[in-house]
Amino acid sequence: NCIKTTTWFEEHLTEDNQEYMRKTMAEEYRRQTAEKLNPLKDEPWQRHEWTEGSRRVGLVAVKLGMAPIWTKTGEKHAVTMLQVQDCHVIKCLPREEYDGHTAALVVGGKNVSPFHRSEHYMEMFRNAGVPPKQKITTFKVSDNAIIKPGTPLYAAHFRPGQYVDVTAKSIGKGFQGVMKRWGFKGQPASHGQTKTHRRPGASGPGGDPAKVFKGKKMPGRMGNIYVTAFGLKIWRVNTKYNVLYVNGSVPGHRNCVLKIRDTVLPTRGSTLLSPPFPTYFTEDEGDLAEDLYDDDLFIHTEPSLTLT
Amino acid sequence: MAACSRRLDKFIVSLRLLRNLQLQNERFLSTSVCRWAPGNDSEPPKFIPPSKPVIIDKTQAVATLRKFLSPEFIPPRQRTNPLKFSMERKDMIRRRKILNVPEFYPGSILAVSMADPNATGKINRFVGICIQRGGKGLGATFVLRNIINQQGVEICYELYNPRIQKIEVLKLEKRLDDNLMYLRDALPEYSTVDPDMKPVPFPPTGEVPLNELKVKMRPKPWSKRWERPKFNIQGIHFDLCLVPKQMEHAQKWAQPWQEYDMLKEYDTSKLEQQILSEVQQEMSK
Repeated sequence: NCIKTTTWFEEHLTEDNQEYMRKTMAEEYRRQTAEKLNPLKDEPWQRHEWTEGSRRVGLVAVKLGMAPIWTKTGEKHAVTMLQVQDCHVIKCLPREEYDGHTAALVVGGKNVSPFHRSEHYMEMFRNAGVPPKQKITTFKVSDNAIIKPGTPLYAAHFRPGQYVDVTAKSIGKGFQGVMKRWGFKGQPASHGQTKTHRRPGASGPGGDPAKVFKGKKMPGRMGNIYVTAFGLKIWRVNTKYNVLYVNGSVPGHRNCVLKIRDTVLPTRGSTLLSPPFPTYFTEDEGDLAEDLYDDDLFIHTEPSLTLT
Repeated sequence: MAACSRRLDKFIVSLRLLRNLQLQNERFLSTSVCRWAPGNDSEPPKFIPPSKPVIIDKTQAVATLRKFLSPEFIPPRQRTNPLKFSMERKDMIRRRKILNVPEFYPGSILAVSMADPNATGKINRFVGICIQRGGKGLGATFVLRNIINQQGVEICYELYNPRIQKIEVLKLEKRLDDNLMYLRDALPEYSTVDPDMKPVPFPPTGEVPLNELKVKMRPKPWSKRWERPKFNIQGIHFDLCLVPKQMEHAQKWAQPWQEYDMLKEYDTSKLEQQILSEVQQEMSK
């Protein structure tokens, strides 16, 4: 129903112009990100202290892959590596504008080219002075944790030992049958079954309702929906490449963009860790070590484990 | 390997210093051989520099002769960010600086000492033939097989597991195949390794010996149909256990077009060289 007013046809430009556009775009991005890193140029907003019940922002990251890690007791765990690539705060929606109860911050992830996005999409990035992003999400935030649009967010925002929730679009499986989609048992392979091995079987009670209830599990499109994995522990944070090592597996394929936020689970709150609030600023705590490890994690520079 | 290369580097550096010193001393002297002509009594005879000694750098030649890159460093062909592989490689190198992982192939005899809370003396030592090397990156594994008290035992060890205290190569050799899983169906004498075997001395120069042993198998049925071309096994003596008719029947499962499939090509030579140089650089630091 919406008519795209701006469409980018490469045919309208000569090849030199196309190259020039690409080069200028890259330079513009670099300039914009560099500008935002300088705290003196743009006056930052007031930073409040952490209070009981305040919620802070999350991050947008890219799933790199999985790797094994070992604890100091010799147990092996699998971790997913998530890289925070060019994460910026794009818009701040104060309490009145958003829903009247909580404030919200719109955060964007990976940089993309502006040539294939609409003007409407580009508008909010222009206001923030930030290159356009592939994914934007809103984080519900308490009033004391709002951040000025344009501030970059880094992986050191999360600390090892903290628990996070990761939301991403699961891998799309297409149109799938009832056995794969809902885990039905199907029918036996032999003993006289005529053409019925993976079918759903019965679809409901019978004559009394005389209908099939809404929400009946049936074959259909599976995957490509937002799924959240709760309570994932952070084992390691690499501040040089902005990589988080998160316990277990995470929905989504490799190189997909995800949304990470502090856990909502009550038993895994991070009150003891005191993570940076409202976020990690390089000028405040600029001398963090390149790798931050959890206490239980075995670091490979240590000598071999002797279990005694 | 790591410790050797580091010491070798220091040795090479000291040799280089000596060579530099010698060169510095010789730079200010003329290299042209001038004989003292009889007649020039006023000038002293020109100094004839001695012939330059040829330094045969045996230690350096040894280290660089056999460039071995462990197969788990080569990343698989995937659409993954190379940053992920480089970070894993850094961790692998950090672990290799602590634990010396020697060069070995499937077919070599290894002894692995691992920390075990249930073992006597807390350290468990297992000796066996390496039948398979699998996995990439930090999760690389190798399977050791041995027959103890007439019972075949296979243990899959993770190369980068922090509980491993020591990996020793008792006998370094290669076999005709990369995967010796068929030893499970071979006669037990081919999988027995003496647990108190002494390490066979192997000179660091030269090629790794190839053991062209053809193994005798137990009567069929086997755990896998090893005669089929998909396994491509060279190391079994098929003439003793299979009739030519059975061999022909096995060729029915041949897929000769796979060798020409261009999409399955994965040329790792350039990647190997790059990663090898990177790894050697990091290990020598």
